[in-house]
Order: sequence, then structure tokens, then C-alpha cells
Amino acid sequence: MALAIRRTTTDLFTAAKWFARRDCRFLSSLPEKAEETAEEAPKRPGRRSSSRNPALEFRHVYPEFLPDPNPKWRNSLREKLERADMLKRRNQIDIPEFYVGSILAVTIADPHAQGKINRFVGICIERKGCGLRAEFILRNVIDHQGIEVRYELYDPTIQRIQVLRLEKRLDDKLYYLRDALPEYSTFPVDMDPEILPEGTPVPLNPVQVKLKPRPWLERWERQELKGVSNIEEHLKEKDRVRRELRKTPWEKYDLMKQYRKTIPEEDQNEIWGEVYNQLHQLQITRKKTYRKRTLSTPKPQLG
Amino acid sequence: MANSSLKLLCSSLNKLKINYIMQRQNSRYQPPRYRPPHWFVPKERVMTDEMLTQENRQFLEEVRQDKMNVQTALESPLSNSEPVATTQWDPFTRRVGLIARKIGNYPLWSKDGKRFQTTLLQVVDNHVIKYIPPEEFNPMVVKKPVWKEKKRLGALLVGSETIDPTIVTKEYCGLFDSVGMLPKRHLCRFMVSPHAALPTGTPLTATHFRRISRCNEALGIQRYACIPWCHQDSQETWQHSWRVLRGVKILRINTKHNVLWVLGVGIPGETGAMCYMFDTVLPLRKHKTAPPFPTHLPTDDLPLEYYDESIHPFEEPTISFEED
Repeated sequence: MALAIRRTTTDLFTAAKWFARRDCRFLSSLPEKAEETAEEAPKRPGRRSSSRNPALEFRHVYPEFLPDPNPKWRNSLREKLERADMLKRRNQIDIPEFYVGSILAVTIADPHAQGKINRFVGICIERKGCGLRAEFILRNVIDHQGIEVRYELYDPTIQRIQVLRLEKRLDDKLYYLRDALPEYSTFPVDMDPEILPEGTPVPLNPVQVKLKPRPWLERWERQELKGVSNIEEHLKEKDRVRRELRKTPWEKYDLMKQYRKTIPEEDQNEIWGEVYNQLHQLQITRKKTYRKRTLSTPKPQLG
Repeated sequence: MANSSLKLLCSSLNKLKINYIMQRQNSRYQPPRYRPPHWFVPKERVMTDEMLTQENRQFLEEVRQDKMNVQTALESPLSNSEPVATTQWDPFTRRVGLIARKIGNYPLWSKDGKRFQTTLLQVVDNHVIKYIPPEEFNPMVVKKPVWKEKKRLGALLVGSETIDPTIVTKEYCGLFDSVGMLPKRHLCRFMVSPHAALPTGTPLTATHFRRISRCNEALGIQRYACIPWCHQDSQETWQHSWRVLRGVKILRINTKHNVLWVLGVGIPGETGAMCYMFDTVLPLRKHKTAPPFPTHLPTDDLPLEYYDESIHPFEEPTISFEED
């Protein structure tokens, strides 16, 4: 259902063009912005080369390697031990690059499941935590019932994390999908992975969801969300007044607040310098296995 | 004239006004008392300008550096002397403890996939300072004298984190100087059995608790950073208040950095707070077999990490469950 809404006619047209070019090799559905990004490519030649330090780009791909900026919780030795443990775990399992808004399939060992294995497909609505505490939440609607599962990224019971569609959304958190129409968070369980051509930047999905009428779980109107289209329909006059009162437009000029919320560049250089070689090695091995992989993926068993 | 004297009278009466005295609502509240440790000697010195010349300052720095080098090169007195056969461990022995620093929390997973929150405790540069035999041990008089301790246990002073001798008082430095050590930032007294005594200068490491089991008790300094009714002066009062946590389980030990992972996040204090650790006295969790006694001898062929048998090391493959 969600797929049908996302496909406008022009998109279908570009998809057809793309299919023709790629010899119709992949039967999976295609990322929407493939055509646009191909045009943009000469302006921004790759994400890597644009920055001065290539290792600093890792902060988007591996955000959990940066510690919590609260100075009360920082300790260099603990952070070092934690990073070493994370790399040890990453040597055992391939944890791919994904963002909030990407669609993932997670296979986890579950002693109570039939076959001792459980697979869940859903959209990543939140990614948070740092170090070994890093976690993400997947959401899907199964049998008209919204389901959310929280997974720890470094949990050793996770057997496989597969990115079915790599993309970003307009917002950092997609908690509003809980109050949106169910079609926006419904994804088929037997979805095929979509393969992006190598070197393309991560596509941005500009879809705007429609919220259900009130009551809501949160006051979405105060959060300045970009991914919601019909928020004004459900507001009363008093909500608009209160939203104006609660606005904090000065915060974007508060440099100290931003500084306290982030890890400074000097610290980041140190951290990435420590883990760069191993992460880069992991990326290379992943690319190799990715090329080798046969295109006919076996049908996943449903848990 | 009369007017001015009236004003005087008014101002003197104003001074007698009692409306600024506050009545405390919670009458059961007792403000925290300042509890100095029993071996208390003033540690911090008032820093003054010594008017030293540049050469003198350099000379002092050189001497300090030499002493530090000697101290770091100090070998454990246990390694060169043969272990005496008479010192045998029995279940009633009390071993020495360690001074550790809390450095944070992170989760570990067990082999059946359960998540455990752990606290990391780092053992920083611990050395035995002095042994006081039971006959000479004469503690400060407290309200309830601990007669049992006084009769049969000696006191072992353990220090952690070497500091610059010029920043501490003469009295505090004298504690260390009399036995030929450099002053330490933290000093703790552990009551030990006479045959568990250690010679001065023995380094203590995390492998002191090498057998990973419920063998450990942590004693923490609790620090309240800001309490509404506490003003600045009484922060010191809280620094010496103690909280005891019994039977803390050790899950993992790193021998290179001397770090212990202990179960739970209930270790008192913030990140960077100190705590004292020693063998547990809980009857069901006490040592059944001999731990490293009197302490673990320094050897080179230690594994980097010790794990509890229930803990899943991160370098092992993914957990999967067998189908029945």
C-alpha cells in the first residue's frame, strides 16, 4: 500500500528508464531518487572526497562510536575498551550502514520461537545510544496491529541485519508514524532487498505522511516536523497560539548548546584515528562478499 | 537631639529582630556529620610561593623525577623471595583489599543471550605502604570499640595513585617517607590476618581477585554533588560518608589495564569516584577454595582477559539456540 502511494507516474517513468539501462537484472523495486542523484553526482563527487578528513565521514555511518558528550560520564579508558569490544563484535557479524527511515530485516536467535529463530521486517524509526548501548527501533504493521521491536545493535543473539531499502527521511525520529495512517508503516514481510548502484549517495525519501485525527501520543505540532503533511487540519486555535508561545527560535544561535551536545573535532580525530583502519578493512571485506553474492536470494523463512 | 536618639534606639532594636531565623519544618532531619577517616592526617597543603630560583626548581623537579623512576621500576618484593610454605590460606583468613576507581558502565551479554549491566572499576597504581601488626595497632577511640578486630587483626595501609610530594603536607608525606615510598592520593586501611601481611612496596593488581566468582565486596565513597540543603562547606562532610555493597559479582577482568567488570550499576558514586574492594564476608558467597594468597604473584604469561563462565566474550561467534 505504501509503495503504491509513493509511486507517482513520473517515478514510474524514471524507474522504467532505469530498468531498461540495467537490463532488468534486478526484480526488486527501485530507489526513487536514482535518476536525481545521477544528475547531482558531478556537483558532489562522492561523500568521501568532499571532506578534509575521510575518517570524519564515519560519524554519519557509525554514530555509536562517538561517546556521550556529557563530561560527567566521559572516561578515556572506558571508551577505549568499549570501542575494542564493538570492533570485536563487528568482526563476527556484518552490521551494515543504515539510517532512520531505512527498512531493515533483523534475524535474532530466540529460545521461545519456533525454529529458535525470529525475523522481523520494519522501518527504523529511531536510532540512539552510544557505545555498546546503541539500539534502534523497527516498526511495522502486521495483521492491522502496529508492532515495534527494539534491538540492541551489539547484542550477540542478533544473527543477521539486512538492509532492504537504504534511504533517509526528512526527520531524525519517525515516532509520528505511530499516529499516522497504518499504510505508512506497513511493509511486506517477504520484501526483497533493493540494491543501490555503488557510489551513489544515500537517497532521501521526501514522503509526507498523513496523521490520524486526535488524540495523539505527542504534541506533534510543536516539534516542527517536515515529514507530516496534514498537521494543520487537526489543530484548534489554542494549539496554534500555544505552539507560538513554546517556540525557541534563539536556540539555533546558541553555540554553547551545540558544543555541549557534540564531540569536538579534535576528540573525533583521535577516536576515528584509532578505529579507522579496522572499520575500513571491514568495509572492504563487506564489498567483496557483496559482489560475490548471488542475485537470487533464497526465500526467507517467516518466524 | 531627641529625634537622633530615637533613631539610634530604632536601629538597636532592629538588630534584635528575630524574623530572619528560620524554623526547620522537618524536625527529624539531622544534618550530616563530618566523619574523617580514623587514620586522618591533613593531606592538602596551603600552597605558598617559595621564592625558588629557576635552578632550584629544576633541581627539585629532577629529584622528584628520579624518585618516580625508582618507584615505577620497583619490583614486587614477593617475586624475588621464595614463598614461605607456612603462609597457608584458610577460610578464616582475611586478605588485603584494593582501591579502585569507577570509570563507567556498559552492558555485557551472557551465553544464553541475557543482558547484564556492568560497572567498570579500574585499579590504579596500588601499592602496599605499611603493615601494622595487631600488637602495635592502636586505632582512634570510637564510640563502639571493635574488640575482635583489635585482638587478632593487623592493619595494612594501601595507597593508590602516586602524586607530587610537594603538594601535600609534611605529616601526610611523612607516612610514606618513613617507609621509602612516594605519597599517594588515596590511602586506605585494610584489616588483615597477620599471616596475610605483605611487605612494603608490593604492587596490587586486579588479578588479586583472579578467581572469578562471587568473591568480592565493594565499599564505596558516596558523593553528593549538590543537595538543596547542603551548602558549599558541607560537601566535604559527604565525601567521607560510606555505603557498603555486599557480594558484588565480578564478571570479567582485564589484566592489561587492571579493570574489573562487576555486576550491576549500584556501585555508589559518580564516574571517577573511588571505592574500596575486598573479599566478601557473606557466608554463602565466601571463598571455598584458596584465592591468590597473599596476593597474585606478578607473572608475564597472563591472559589478557578473564571471563566468568556465564559471560559471552565479544570475539566469540553469534549465539544461537539448539532446537530440541
